[in-house]
Amino acid sequence: MQMQSATQVPVHITGLNKSFDGQSVLKDLNWQITPGSIVGLLGRNGAGKSTLIECLLGLRDIDGGTTVMYGEEAGKLSVQTREKIGYVPQRSELFDWLTARQMLSYFRHLYPRWNDGKVHALMQAWELPFDKAISKLSVGQKQRLSIIRALAHEPELLILDEPVSSLDPAGRRAFLCELIDNVIEKQTTIVFSTHILSDLERVAMDVAFLNQGRITHQQALDEMMDSTVRVSARPEVLNQLQPVKTLHRPVQKNSADKHKMLAQFSEEQLHQLQERQDLRLEKLGLEDLFIEMTE
Amino acid sequence: MHTMSPPENQRQLSPDLFQVNTGTSEPIYRQLIEQLRRLLAGRQVAAGDAMPSVREVASALGVNPMTVSKAYSMLEAEGLLVRRRGLGMEVASQAQGSSDLESRLELLRPGLERIALEARQLELEPRAVITLLTSILKGK
Repeated sequence: MQMQSATQVPVHITGLNKSFDGQSVLKDLNWQITPGSIVGLLGRNGAGKSTLIECLLGLRDIDGGTTVMYGEEAGKLSVQTREKIGYVPQRSELFDWLTARQMLSYFRHLYPRWNDGKVHALMQAWELPFDKAISKLSVGQKQRLSIIRALAHEPELLILDEPVSSLDPAGRRAFLCELIDNVIEKQTTIVFSTHILSDLERVAMDVAFLNQGRITHQQALDEMMDSTVRVSARPEVLNQLQPVKTLHRPVQKNSADKHKMLAQFSEEQLHQLQERQDLRLEKLGLEDLFIEMTE
Repeated sequence: MHTMSPPENQRQLSPDLFQVNTGTSEPIYRQLIEQLRRLLAGRQVAAGDAMPSVREVASALGVNPMTVSKAYSMLEAEGLLVRRRGLGMEVASQAQGSSDLESRLELLRPGLERIALEARQLELEPRAVITLLTSILKGK
């Protein structure tokens, strides 16, 4: 990896701990995101994805460790660094009493860079009313408004927490197209959590799995899909294999049964394994990978 | 060959050339590569045709432009596409070389191997499967 000075690294988390009421959610979590990457954050419900994002942004106190954005500690971000960041929360109840026009004009004054043309084009394309109180908007409309607000100042780092959970497929596609046509090409760093794996597959270059309080695995999605297989074989056969990385090997009690292992192999190894009669290989789609990786 | 403007009779391919399936075990960049190989072998795409731009394909399919760009680069490395200076990609003149019957048939192998596996799991006789395939091929 290229050496980068700390001020260029959008996200650098080390040893992050966070618990709620004695219940540990994030445990000594380390995570780094390089500029220009598009990372999908994957984890089951309650794995702590939103907590992780909120700790990163300094919206929650942390119990230990450091979360740093562009070389500055979360919670103590300078105005310049704040301006680089766009955030779409999972759900936002803020500014409910304002109209979209009032809310956007408020935010417009907070940012030196603000793309009015983009705001108007998206408000129109996504059929949002300027002059209705935000409290009267549907959940999906609020979510779209929140996305527009986050895109308006053209952030260098866009953090999206389940950005499309309330949108229908057409709304999701419109959002994806906006990312594809106008955001990705500006080398914007994007971090997003979502349960909609098909969207993630379309835009994410990297995937990061949050499981049991840690980022257990992060890799380019293409690479992961190319190199990962589920191998079924007798335990002694599995034990002899030399994968590049073992991702998941569930404990199985009955040793007479065939055992399973999720592991990564080189292309050459995969060719050799395919010839063998004493094991079975299975390539997995993202959904199966998700299930295995977060078990 | 490296002229700045495309020949007048050059066919411009549309981004509809490609389609993407999510939820499969095949990464999107591979799907694009395989589809172009098949189109070439089936002569639906010919040497000299102008490829749609990365941006057009990304936008039409709703996928990351970097993924399309990766597929194009790999097809270029394989010699199936050539980059025209300033004008994007076109189908290479030697690309048609691999369109003999045998190599076209070979492109069906991955799909057929999957079918064979499923047929064995269902304990179907080869003859029954072939009869079904024949009738599907004939469009019945």
